[in-house]
Amino acid sequence: MHRRVIALLPVLGLMSANAEESQSIWDPLQVHGFASQAVVRTSDNHFFGNSPETSFDFTEIGINASLLINPQILLSGQLLARRAGNMYDGTPNLDYGLADFTLASSIEHRWGLRAGRIKNPLGIYNETRDVPFTHPGIFLPQVVYFDKIRNLALSLDGLMFYGETYSNLGTLSLTVGGGRSVLDDNVEWTFLRNDYDGEFQPNGIVGLARLWYSAPGEQLKFGLSGTTLSLQFDPGQHSPLSAGTTDIFYWIASIQYDAEDWTLTAEYAREPLEWRDYGPLLSNLRTTVEGYYLQGTYRIRPNVELLLRYEEGFANRNDRDGVEFSLLRGPPPFTYFSKIWTAGLRWDINRQWMVRAEYQRHHGTFVLSFRENPDPSQLSEYWNLFAVQAAFRF
Amino acid sequence: MDGYYSRLNNGCPWHRSLDNAAAPTCSATNRSSGRLKKVFICLTVTLWPWMLTAQELIVNKATPNTQISQNQARLCFTMRLPLWENNVPVKVFVLPDNHPLHRKFAKNILGLFPYQLRQVWDRQIFSGTGQAPIMVATEQEMVERVASTPGSVGYVESGSSYPQVRTLEVR
Repeated sequence: MHRRVIALLPVLGLMSANAEESQSIWDPLQVHGFASQAVVRTSDNHFFGNSPETSFDFTEIGINASLLINPQILLSGQLLARRAGNMYDGTPNLDYGLADFTLASSIEHRWGLRAGRIKNPLGIYNETRDVPFTHPGIFLPQVVYFDKIRNLALSLDGLMFYGETYSNLGTLSLTVGGGRSVLDDNVEWTFLRNDYDGEFQPNGIVGLARLWYSAPGEQLKFGLSGTTLSLQFDPGQHSPLSAGTTDIFYWIASIQYDAEDWTLTAEYAREPLEWRDYGPLLSNLRTTVEGYYLQGTYRIRPNVELLLRYEEGFANRNDRDGVEFSLLRGPPPFTYFSKIWTAGLRWDINRQWMVRAEYQRHHGTFVLSFRENPDPSQLSEYWNLFAVQAAFRF
Repeated sequence: MDGYYSRLNNGCPWHRSLDNAAAPTCSATNRSSGRLKKVFICLTVTLWPWMLTAQELIVNKATPNTQISQNQARLCFTMRLPLWENNVPVKVFVLPDNHPLHRKFAKNILGLFPYQLRQVWDRQIFSGTGQAPIMVATEQEMVERVASTPGSVGYVESGSSYPQVRTLEVR
């Protein structure tokens, strides 16, 4: 797979040359894409592959097309191939595929409807979380944007209404959506800590809402976004679990301030969870996952950026040191929280190429995937990560 | 008011050096008349070159507008305004992110930092909710494309040099 990825890069380069050319005439069809490869090394614990031995298993390749049928109707779709350690094997899938209808627009407001597979506008980064250029750092703050369970709130198959009002006071926007969530095996690994015989199915529809404010000039932005969903476990013949359900409400409060040379970002996420009716092996349980981070980026030059971030996340906000959960469910207390310092450097070499490097100091292992670290006795409480990434776009 | 001052400060490439040169003179006295004098000198050195080097928003000549609000200009360049008032589709032309004219226009006329424009476009491009503006390589190409494309909007250093397009006042 790794070789295949590298073999693709020149092909993408050719396509980019074509894309530049096709932009020389007005064209309602646009094609864009990106590819990235990271190298990850950790002192202990597996993160995006066999990282203690140096992992090359973090690759992202996406290609999208959009067609403006008329000023009110946009069709768009993106294929994404993502390899992330044991969590994703790089099989391409439809990241989004939608029709966007602008129902009304003026210099004071805009209303519209999107239908199809739509990325959930949760927090500041979720919609473009797999596009390296759109967020600081190689890894998003894991306590809010869990990669171990990335698909849970990634996108939905359904409808979203959006409305925005523009004035001298700024922009206020509201998005409301509903549909079916797009799940995968990682959800099961995270919520059941195993890959049991059986499958998670969406239980009813997913609801989503986002309320966002941007000051004129967009220097200050803040908002609330959240989604509520329920999962039903459909047990196989050999499953030790019965047909339980897990109810999830995940919300994020976000704020960002942009100055010319620096940007400050803070987000706070909370996720009340409830497991019901899984049988004796997994007793009924309620918890509230919590995570927050403060992140500063400073641009030494327009194309060179420094990153500093601190984040904390807890499996249960009423048991932040993990002691109670450890007694109840087994693994040591430090597996129920993460406290992470991150420092990074990003260099945008030109319009198409970017490289960056990142160091992280971890206390706790809450953000790690069980799928990648199935034996908790092998986990280390204090660990370091170093990663570099090269990314290309067109 | 903030926007006005930042426009003054950013609109003039000589401002920083002139302002620094003027600073010792101004700070030589701390009486109120000295402060007034300082304000006067600073305003003069700031305003004069700013008036000479302002970037200007241009549109295709068939566009009926003669002026545009800063809000509407921002909506155009963040790709959130699909149609002009006469129902002609808005087509946006921009120079590369690191082009000096692009940087000045974004900051001084739109009141946005160039990296913010890039973030807005990337979010739309990579979430399928919008399209990117059309990128041209030079100011000359910008003028040619805007002159030949109905509904188009772009920018130049000085509109009076290009009679084939219309300059819109951004208010």
